[in-house]
Amino acid sequence: MWLWAALAAVSDSSVADRAAFDRMARGDHDALGEIYDRHGRLVYSMAFRILRDQSDAEDVVQEVFSQAWRQASRYDASRGSVLAWLLTLTRSRSIDRLRGRRARPEPTADEGMLNAIPDRGAPADVLVVSAGQASQVREAVEGLSVLQRVAIELAFYEGLTHAEIAERLELPLGTVKTRIRQGLLKLRDRLAGSV
Amino acid sequence: MAVNGSEHDRLHESAGLYVLDALGPSERSEFERHLQTCAECTAEVRSLTGVAAALPYGVPLVDPPPGLRNRVMAVTGGASVPPSNVVALPARPPRPRSWVTIAGWLSAAALLLVSLGLGTYSMSLQREIAGLHSEISTLNARLTDSEQRVTVATRLVALADSRMAILTAPDMTQVDLQGQQPVAPRAAGRAFYSRSRGLVFTATDLPPLRAGRAYQLWVVTAQQPVSAGLLDLDTAGRVTQAFNTPPDLAAPVAIAVTEEPAGGVPAPTGDKYLVGLTH
Repeated sequence: MWLWAALAAVSDSSVADRAAFDRMARGDHDALGEIYDRHGRLVYSMAFRILRDQSDAEDVVQEVFSQAWRQASRYDASRGSVLAWLLTLTRSRSIDRLRGRRARPEPTADEGMLNAIPDRGAPADVLVVSAGQASQVREAVEGLSVLQRVAIELAFYEGLTHAEIAERLELPLGTVKTRIRQGLLKLRDRLAGSV
Repeated sequence: MAVNGSEHDRLHESAGLYVLDALGPSERSEFERHLQTCAECTAEVRSLTGVAAALPYGVPLVDPPPGLRNRVMAVTGGASVPPSNVVALPARPPRPRSWVTIAGWLSAAALLLVSLGLGTYSMSLQREIAGLHSEISTLNARLTDSEQRVTVATRLVALADSRMAILTAPDMTQVDLQGQQPVAPRAAGRAFYSRSRGLVFTATDLPPLRAGRAYQLWVVTAQQPVSAGLLDLDTAGRVTQAFNTPPDLAAPVAIAVTEEPAGGVPAPTGDKYLVGLTH
């Protein structure tokens, strides 16, 4: 029963998100506040998880919401939920900043590039629909082997490439490739089982 | 699928790296080209993209600093008030200040300073802990891997030990095995047999078997062939393996390798691939 309640609540909030984006596109400031109140905490947590620095995380959150404000009119609901869009943007902005911090200062990605991120490749099967299912995701991740989890986290939260992960973990490239795929498949099975 | 089967075998493992955006540029474009012709990989990428999109929901939640909302709202060029946090304060009649109230204010200010200091301190601790946590994960991963390598190495050493024991046994006999026509004309093998310590067997050029079949090694005595075990071939048809044989085994007259159902059989039934007599 709780699942139906959660699903209903989520679809309500994603409908409300879309409506808020429509209002933002028409210049309604309060709509941005509404989106921030609903998702600001998760967006900030994601940026903080990647950057591990309060002031950098704050900067990223501001950039993300600023971009949402400017691009609300171009948001296309068929590409996915508002929240997924915000989180994708948060990850990519945070990782850009992390890479910048790691030494080589590179030009910040322009908006055209960022705009192109969410619709890369095929649309995703939606597995997790609610922030309320956070504990399922956490449990599924904890159920991975240490190597699977760390390899996935290095790619996802630190934006490391295949070769960089292999170097960091002192493992052969093939092992990293296999562990990451097996880990994601295991997560898929666990999450599919719990949704 | 038949056309790009080998390409698929080579590339399909990359799907995980692809959805996490961790492939190098050339690997990535190669994989994207493959996706255009491979329905299986396209389906896997689709489902794994969903998994990657689910990952952020698992991040530990941290409360954003209270001032962040105003910074965010500033991007619109106008301010907006949070819906519920603003409560109108009742107007209070001005009171004459006394030393007591001033002292009260001072101690409140001191408390505020202390708590601000503690807040900053706790933020920096939080950051430090998060950093340590990630370091521990990385070290843990390396440790697990090292432990696995040590286990493998220990096993190899034990194996080498037992082989060495057989090869240096005083009662060691060497038997050369010839490949049999027509199944394995090019194959060759050699067995080192010690009644007290066991058998080391090595062979080359054994032809690959179809699925569900295996090579079985036999120590043939005057009474009957006794199974030593199944051969574990590498992809080039080579093997070097040690086997335990019963110490009460009668003197062998021959060593042979036959093709049998996977899992082995109690007595040989299939074609002989290698045979060697013990003089």
